[in-house]
Amino acid sequence: MTRVLVPLAILEGESLSPGLTTLLQSVDVTVLGYHVLPEQTPPDQARLQYEERATAALEDLVATFEATGGSADHRLVFTHDRDQTIERVAAETSADAYAITGASGQIDRILVSLTGDVAVDRNVSFVTSLVGDREIGVTLFLATDDASREASAELLDAAAERLSERGIDVETELAVDAPALETLLDTAVDHDAIVVGERAPSLRSLVLGGEAERIAAESIAPVLVVRNVDGDRPADDS
Amino acid sequence: MGGPSPSTEGTNIDGESPRGDPTIETDEATITDDAELERTLGLTGGLAIGIGTMIGAGIFVFPGLAAGQAGPAAAGSFAIGAVVALLVALPASELATAMPKSGGGYYFISRALGALAGAVVGLSLWFGLVFATAFYLVGFGYYAVDTLAELGVTVGEGPVIPVALLFGAGFTVLNVTGTENAAKLQNGIVALLLSILAVFLTYGGLDAVGLVGEPAPPERFAPFGAMPVLTTAALVFTSYLGFAQVATVAGEMRDPGRNLPLAMVGSVVVVGLLYVVTIFVATSAFGSETLAGFGETAMVEVGRHYLGAAGAVAIVFGGLLATMSSANASVLSTSRAIYAVSRDALLPRRASHINLRYGTPHVALGMAGGPILVLTATGQVELLAEVASFLHLVMYGLICVALIALRRNEPAWYDPDFRVPGYPVVPVLGAITSFAMIGFMQPASQIVGVGIMLVTAGWYAYYARDVRLRGEL
Repeated sequence: MTRVLVPLAILEGESLSPGLTTLLQSVDVTVLGYHVLPEQTPPDQARLQYEERATAALEDLVATFEATGGSADHRLVFTHDRDQTIERVAAETSADAYAITGASGQIDRILVSLTGDVAVDRNVSFVTSLVGDREIGVTLFLATDDASREASAELLDAAAERLSERGIDVETELAVDAPALETLLDTAVDHDAIVVGERAPSLRSLVLGGEAERIAAESIAPVLVVRNVDGDRPADDS
Repeated sequence: MGGPSPSTEGTNIDGESPRGDPTIETDEATITDDAELERTLGLTGGLAIGIGTMIGAGIFVFPGLAAGQAGPAAAGSFAIGAVVALLVALPASELATAMPKSGGGYYFISRALGALAGAVVGLSLWFGLVFATAFYLVGFGYYAVDTLAELGVTVGEGPVIPVALLFGAGFTVLNVTGTENAAKLQNGIVALLLSILAVFLTYGGLDAVGLVGEPAPPERFAPFGAMPVLTTAALVFTSYLGFAQVATVAGEMRDPGRNLPLAMVGSVVVVGLLYVVTIFVATSAFGSETLAGFGETAMVEVGRHYLGAAGAVAIVFGGLLATMSSANASVLSTSRAIYAVSRDALLPRRASHINLRYGTPHVALGMAGGPILVLTATGQVELLAEVASFLHLVMYGLICVALIALRRNEPAWYDPDFRVPGYPVVPVLGAITSFAMIGFMQPASQIVGVGIMLVTAGWYAYYARDVRLRGEL
């Protein structure tokens, strides 16, 4: 079964949009309630004070999922480092993707980016199980340069073929020699959620914030990041 | 790792019980019934806490004072301190890997030796850290005034205490309102300090052994005999308070079985070596009498002697950074010490409350900052340092006793990843030397220290007599 991790800053009142809740009803969900503490506060100290409040909030969220017919569980983590926590829990639950919550109502059409060095197969099969047999349209998006135009078009068609075999309404969009992120964001305007692949952290993403986070911030829509399970990040020791 | 934790029971006078929820420890997180606590500190972070807390006082404040008391043999005093610290760091490492939880020395002692010993150590540690922080702040004040002097503004020693007070208040406020990147900043400061010292010591060391520069006047190694070497060791032991602070963040350290022992023992070794070489270089630069005449900022003159104005500026800058980093690390440790005892109902629970706006333990930080300012105002460098050492040494000695008690009758939950080599010799020596060190202090420091311990014992008898913390032995 496909599993999606939904990390939420639970004590800061971060919550799920109804659209995302509905979108995820076809997959298993783990709601990860986290609370980030400054370095001078031991995580356990915060747990003593806030565990009950956070757990109650998480149980409400899980109930919301179950009310829509989905299946969900929850975990609560007190941490100094949000990214490390998401990474660890995603690995422990073998989540296929994690969600960056955004604002959305009804979900009619989702945008799936296949740009760059992402595992196309994994993205496509994730989208297949996410959409299931619901009436949700998919737009496959790929930005490329002129040199690899043909290869990219073929890749896009092959992926679209696989989705339409499952009865999914697919469109494709190939952006040639255009700024990838900006074009993606322009296209995202007509869509209710975005699926991207996780990429190895690059210097650019460290400077500008993760690409997925930027997409989420600028499109406001929920973003699902399909995890890059093969490319395990080496454990750093800082 | 894992298994059940030592049990706790009883209530204090307010009806609060110790909060010791059953937990499972993994390398990446501590898992309780409903929540997980992420372990985010690595080896580098642990070393930075140990080195960053220790490196301030010893190198930058003591050389003048120590040389005045013991002559060139002051290097021996620092070496004695390093050996004692190492003898305690090894048992502390074993206990920390068996109980990788917040609280450090206090936690080990309360679980192995019971609530009275725990209360005395836990509350004394609060005061010990307060005394240590006040000492660091006064040292910082001297360096701040010297910085002005290097900039050409001579103000005398009058503003030392006001400056120290100002910064003490500043650190407290900073810690309450949140220091986003404190740990990264601390790592940077430690790295910068180590570089400054490495350059300085390499050049000074070459000079001292006569390879470059002028030959120094020969001097008797221990002009005042052996006794002052020991009393000086007791005085300068404050320089080594800090390695056990690594254990207070044991609950936040990744792979604690490996990283805790490495960070604790490693920081003692690094800092001990630096101290001994520094004192050797300093006493080679000047006769110990001249050095003593320079007082708290003697190192600045040593820097000037070897590297001219640039050397003096580098040392002044290093001294500012080092005393600042020690003071800040100790303010944080104090609030953690208060948290550890209040979780066990030895202090009112509200002492460890966190405010949701900043996420910081503002009550505990206030309980650290207030007394620190009062003590800083006294400006008694040696008394502050010795009382701080006294209270820490009691804890260090009892850590060794706790290890012996646990090893003699190992409870089922006791399963450390690291076992101290040379058991029982190392912990026995660690306990004896820690307690012996106290005997070489000035009577005034001993009286203040004993007084504080009596007060803490009285508080326990009044407030939390029914609390039981001992593990199942």
